[in-house]
Amino acid sequence: MKVVLSVLLLVAEIVAFPAWSGATPLMDWGLHVAKEGNGKPGSTACMECHRLDGGGMPSIGSPRIAGQPSQYIAREIREVKAGKRYGPVMAGVVQNLSLRDIRAVALYYSRAKSPKLPDVGPSDPTLVGEGKHIATRGFWKKNIPACVQCHGPNGYGVPPLFPYIAGQNRTYLLRQLMAYAFLKRQDDPDGLMRGIARRMTMTQRKAVAEYFSSLKPPIRDVP
Amino acid sequence: MTTRLFARNFLVAMLAAVVLWPVSSARGGPLEVMQGTEIFTPPPDSDIPQGPFGDLVRKGEKIFTQTGRFARHYVGNDLTCESCHLNRGRKAYSAPLWGAYVLYPRFRSKNHMVNKLDERIQGCFRFSMNGTPPPVTSQTMKALIAYSFWMSRGAPVGVKLKGQGMLTLPKPGSTPSVLRGRKIYVARCALCHGMHGQGRTSHGGQVFPPVWGNRSYNKGAGLYKVAKLAGFVKMNMPLSKGDTLSDQASWDVAAYVDSQPRPANPRKRPRS
Repeated sequence: MKVVLSVLLLVAEIVAFPAWSGATPLMDWGLHVAKEGNGKPGSTACMECHRLDGGGMPSIGSPRIAGQPSQYIAREIREVKAGKRYGPVMAGVVQNLSLRDIRAVALYYSRAKSPKLPDVGPSDPTLVGEGKHIATRGFWKKNIPACVQCHGPNGYGVPPLFPYIAGQNRTYLLRQLMAYAFLKRQDDPDGLMRGIARRMTMTQRKAVAEYFSSLKPPIRDVP
Repeated sequence: MTTRLFARNFLVAMLAAVVLWPVSSARGGPLEVMQGTEIFTPPPDSDIPQGPFGDLVRKGEKIFTQTGRFARHYVGNDLTCESCHLNRGRKAYSAPLWGAYVLYPRFRSKNHMVNKLDERIQGCFRFSMNGTPPPVTSQTMKALIAYSFWMSRGAPVGVKLKGQGMLTLPKPGSTPSVLRGRKIYVARCALCHGMHGQGRTSHGGQVFPPVWGNRSYNKGAGLYKVAKLAGFVKMNMPLSKGDTLSDQASWDVAAYVDSQPRPANPRKRPRS
């Protein structure tokens, strides 16, 4: 009888407090980490660069992450941590995030909402035009498919692993294309983006960054 | 004067000889001839004229790239023409339109008849699109023919162009294996086409085409032949990384994809 009772108690405990490490629900914990860090020494709040609503900071090229699929956000943090994604700033701040912390902030930001924040300086209409051509038709002479073939119509993303790029800030987009082409951003599945970014010219990279940053970000409808 | 005229005639004759020589010397008839090593380049979009012809060409392109939207009544799955004919029907070795247009009318062993291009396109709708063939007189067909005609402007007629159709892969070293194919599929294809071959969507619209299941091509389609699918995969997949899978891997993954369930061949199922 005693044994049965204690087993029942244990079951009740598990049901009542699903996560042993910290009983806070994932979403609340995500908000906490985004706002104040996870409390471990040297921890940084995500909002210092990505803002609390996930709009990012175009002035320093910090990406908007509001409404990005949670699986994608979590994966990118893990890849930075593992050293496979080049990210000089992020590499310094994600090291003390636990897997649960990562899942929590990814969930939090995937549900966050933010309008498009203006880029620094005006956009170049000529480049936007060229960028649109590559984005919607590709540049097959160099085996570059249209960006929207994988990032979705209007660059709204194809969950879970193809992020939306519409409304992303220009500096970030260009930086990532450069990182794929020349630096150590090596987290792209099957090396797809590395190959494409390498085959683009400098003007083409600038042009697609201009084009997608000129669009409105999608209204979130993904998990 | 005479010398100049002679020189010009001689030049023309030489040119004709150079052009015609491979045709006349080909043993299997003109269909086996390759036109050098250069791949045909269709005219640029900017050359599409204003006016009714240009409008028809542009309409054809819309149907081609967004088939479910602009030819809804004839489409029975989530594919578009561009799902197989990459780069809006331009890419070599993915059955480009400029390669097809100049080959028709031709005899086809599929139905033992000399088919015209519109009949061939009807086959695409019936099998690859698992739908209903648009009538030869429909606007849909007229636009698609106009688009194909436009794209093949300047392409030599009656010869087999380099990059036409799909690549014919040499016979595999070992029998294509569904099991090996599955592993390759999971590692290199599922990212876009999904673990269950269902493709992927963005905001409700299909982006990556389903490669099996009831929203994909049926068992009467050309790609249901493992050899043909293997050739397509080899030269085009993963997108932007064509020609990176080995021949054997292409055969294996094609065998796996074509071993999965898909709609029946309409020739063999009772008409409803």
